Amino acid sequence: MGAINTKILLESKDLERCPFPIPVGWFFVDFSENLQTSEIRNIEILGQEWVLFRNEGGKVGMTDPYCPHLGAHMGHGGKVVGDNLRCPFHHWEYNTEGWCKNIPYGKITPPIVKKQAILRALPVVERYGMIWAWYHPECEAPQWELPAIPELEEPGHVKPRRGSWPVNTAIQEIAENGVDFAHLKFLHGSPAIPPAEVSFDGHISSVNMANGYIVGKGYGPGLNVFHFTQEGVTATMVSYSVPITAEKSQMNMSFTHKDFPEGSRELAIAKKLVDHMIGQAEGEESAGFESVDFIVWNHKKYRPNPLLCDGDGPIVQYRKWFKQFYVADPETLAKI
Amino acid sequence: MAEVHVTDRDGNVSAVDAPGGRPLMEVLRDANLGVEGICGGACSCGTCHVYVDPQWAERLPPAGEDEQMMLDAIKEFVDVRPTSRLSCQITVDDSLAGMTVEIAPEV
Ligand code: FES
Ligand code: FES
Ligand SMILES: [Fe+2]
Repeated sequence: MGAINTKILLESKDLERCPFPIPVGWFFVDFSENLQTSEIRNIEILGQEWVLFRNEGGKVGMTDPYCPHLGAHMGHGGKVVGDNLRCPFHHWEYNTEGWCKNIPYGKITPPIVKKQAILRALPVVERYGMIWAWYHPECEAPQWELPAIPELEEPGHVKPRRGSWPVNTAIQEIAENGVDFAHLKFLHGSPAIPPAEVSFDGHISSVNMANGYIVGKGYGPGLNVFHFTQEGVTATMVSYSVPITAEKSQMNMSFTHKDFPEGSRELAIAKKLVDHMIGQAEGEESAGFESVDFIVWNHKKYRPNPLLCDGDGPIVQYRKWFKQFYVADPETLAKI
Repeated sequence: MAEVHVTDRDGNVSAVDAPGGRPLMEVLRDANLGVEGICGGACSCGTCHVYVDPQWAERLPPAGEDEQMMLDAIKEFVDVRPTSRLSCQITVDDSLAGMTVEIAPEV
């Protein structure tokens, strides 16, 4: 017998719960209806505070709070003036892209002001009735576009049911559940480990679980669209978790389906599918995430070198795919 | 240490000691010759504009992009000549001993 492997016995002492930086991608910020014209709000997501505003033309800006001039926090006393966010301190103004558009007293515009945005502003789009921001730690431009989600964008679907839950972990950990098929039997209590196929292509991941029962795609780290189909009736779950800090995320979901007639068999099935996505549903043996996943997420540590067995899902492939969204130094990346 | 000859806005000429390694703007500012250098050398204020004596101008490394943009920007307010420079972008060294500059009008 050789020497005992103490690494596996002792490793957890040095493990972190969330060694991940904030990943690159499109992230949900808020629902469009929650931000009125000329409104300014301070929000904390993606590891820092931001100023969110809607200009008089209706465009949304999401910027670093601190004015490039002398560092005033523009979310405390700043104002929307026309297209711009105006700093309270000396009234320099910035548009939604972070370009300085007015310095009300200088005669000469500093050259850099003419050359580029001087205030960090995240690229923002409004889709599906939501505000989305592109995050890149080094301010690079969007690398893909948000996909069409007909269930949220086209008529003929019911008003989505929404849910939002705070979780004490990083979004990589949350989404890893999507490829951890074994936990569905043991944590959720589903009758068997469902057969599943997973594939990865660029920023998109695809999964097909239980022969078409759940078919879904992930679009980068911040958006997943799943279709649950039972007896020919499909319900859609759109999940858009957003990192708040390195160790805190907000899980957000919208559930919808076709606008089936009241009292129809289809409506009953669709409703049951939605119930089941969230928690325990009548007549279903397994539990939705709300009842069982949180307790694991909130307390686990991340093992970069997990001990996997032959019945596990494609955890390693998933992590490799997710890693493309991290931009960080080699030391940080090594812990992921 | 290099000595630089400076003509101020009133036409007075003086010799100023310029320690090597310092931006010329700081030397002029500290000698109270009317150079403000508000931005501290970031090419964003244009208050350190000087006319370098033509013979000396050619010995200086050429203006960078930001300096050139600022010189273009102040054209609207003051006379900008081929030998105009932002003194914050000129680092003093011994090779500049005896250089002659004139402080340009305020913007
Ligand atoms: S600090 Fe914002 S305008 Fe001066
Ligand atoms: S000190 Fe401001 S441009 Fe030279
Ligand atoms: Fe789960």
